[in-house]
Amino acid sequence: MRRVLVAGIGSTPFGRHGDATITSLALHAAGAAIAESGLDRARIGSLYLGNFIAGPLTGQEVLAGLVADGLGLAQIPCTKVEGACASGGIAFRHAYLAIATGLCDVAIAVGAEKMSHADTASVTAALNCAMDNAADGVSGLTFPGLFGLAARLYGERYGVGRAELSAVVRKNKGNGLRNPLAQMGATLRDEEIEASPQICDPLRLYDCCPVSDGAAAVVLAAADLHAELTAQPVEVAASVQTRGSPRIGGHRDLCSFDATVSAARQAFATAGIEPRMVDLVELHDCFSIAEIIDAEDLGLIPRGESAAWAREGRTGVGGDRPINPSGGLLAKGHPVGATGIGQIYETVLQLRGAHPNQVRDAAFGLTHNLGGTGVACTVNILKRLDA
Amino acid sequence: MAALSILTCSACGRLDAGPRDMCPACAGALTSMPVEGAGTLVSWTVIRRPPKSFREHGAYCIAIVDLDAGVRITGRLRNTPAHAALGERVSLVGCQDRIPVFALDR
Ligand SMILES: [Zn+2]
Repeated sequence: MRRVLVAGIGSTPFGRHGDATITSLALHAAGAAIAESGLDRARIGSLYLGNFIAGPLTGQEVLAGLVADGLGLAQIPCTKVEGACASGGIAFRHAYLAIATGLCDVAIAVGAEKMSHADTASVTAALNCAMDNAADGVSGLTFPGLFGLAARLYGERYGVGRAELSAVVRKNKGNGLRNPLAQMGATLRDEEIEASPQICDPLRLYDCCPVSDGAAAVVLAAADLHAELTAQPVEVAASVQTRGSPRIGGHRDLCSFDATVSAARQAFATAGIEPRMVDLVELHDCFSIAEIIDAEDLGLIPRGESAAWAREGRTGVGGDRPINPSGGLLAKGHPVGATGIGQIYETVLQLRGAHPNQVRDAAFGLTHNLGGTGVACTVNILKRLDA
Repeated sequence: MAALSILTCSACGRLDAGPRDMCPACAGALTSMPVEGAGTLVSWTVIRRPPKSFREHGAYCIAIVDLDAGVRITGRLRNTPAHAALGERVSLVGCQDRIPVFALDR
């Protein structure tokens, strides 16, 4: 496998984009990533686009071809991939593979979603496409519901309550406040979080990520092209994708996702580093409890201790294990298909030393993107070239 | 107590809550088998903002139950409890639109 660099990044702000089409959001992000890389767009040999629900929510498909056409790319393979909330991460990995295996020297991964124009019940119904609708879906279970179930079980098992969930919410909303791309940064007090409406007991509104529009893109290049790049590149040290059970009954434990556990193990082995060497993590906090579970599944925090780490501030930007300095899905937003690539965008800025919530001397960053009921997962480890 | 239909593999005997087309362990043929609707509560939550197709149900309570027969299923609790301890005993009381509905034994 060849060494692969992230050569350019681009992103729209995450949030409400009113009349902008999903295609124009994607073009905005992709155009910025190409311009930053300094590479001629004629050299892009393949495009992968991550999207989840443009069909049901916007009536627009063939996004990969539409975006390539808008960018004026050559007659290259353009592929849309779908893995629910992990769609963006999967697109990134395929672009990485195209270069690592030598199929092309330059590739682009784009993620996009447009959701805010639809009413909540339609969005919830569309998101439920990520469930096995012949099994769990018939019960009326929703994604907030799945994480409500996990939060209750985790809470009872480890003696974790409102204070710990709120600590995650306060941290991520606070980080989001300083990220110009974030949809919902805020300075919150525990009382405000506790006063927000119940969504799926014990989860409240502030425990849930918002509905978002947005797009993010990265240009990847073979390491041989290093001298031609105009932006500071970072290296992809590992890019792993796994699957887990699409059904609740297939998970051994509601407080763990097998797909994350196995993806993380493979990623650390491939990158040749230990979890303690990771300087910052952008992980899939679709709900506050998800951040607590994910950090343990990734091997970054021992089982049952993640909530206490959040409460003690150890996962803050200046803590010993910074998690979601971007604000995460909770504050930055979750335009589903764009999220995995947005995480790469944030991590590249950190490794360049140019993030608004900079983690000091960051050399290794990890991103974690989880889809559906843990049915699809990607974990990437990025590193500074001198690390 | 009401009975529930699950699947069993005719080749390896594996149980599955279904629906499934073939045994995921050995690709053997699956046949349905009635089991007692008794089990323990793994976790529960209340869906207060249902998706479109469940709107008319109002708020409802989802339960994950480990049946004594040895499979985990997703169903509902008949009434939204003020408190239900995890590990509490539950029994199937019926089905509503193919959804198994349980009640706390106490
Ligand atoms: Zn079998």
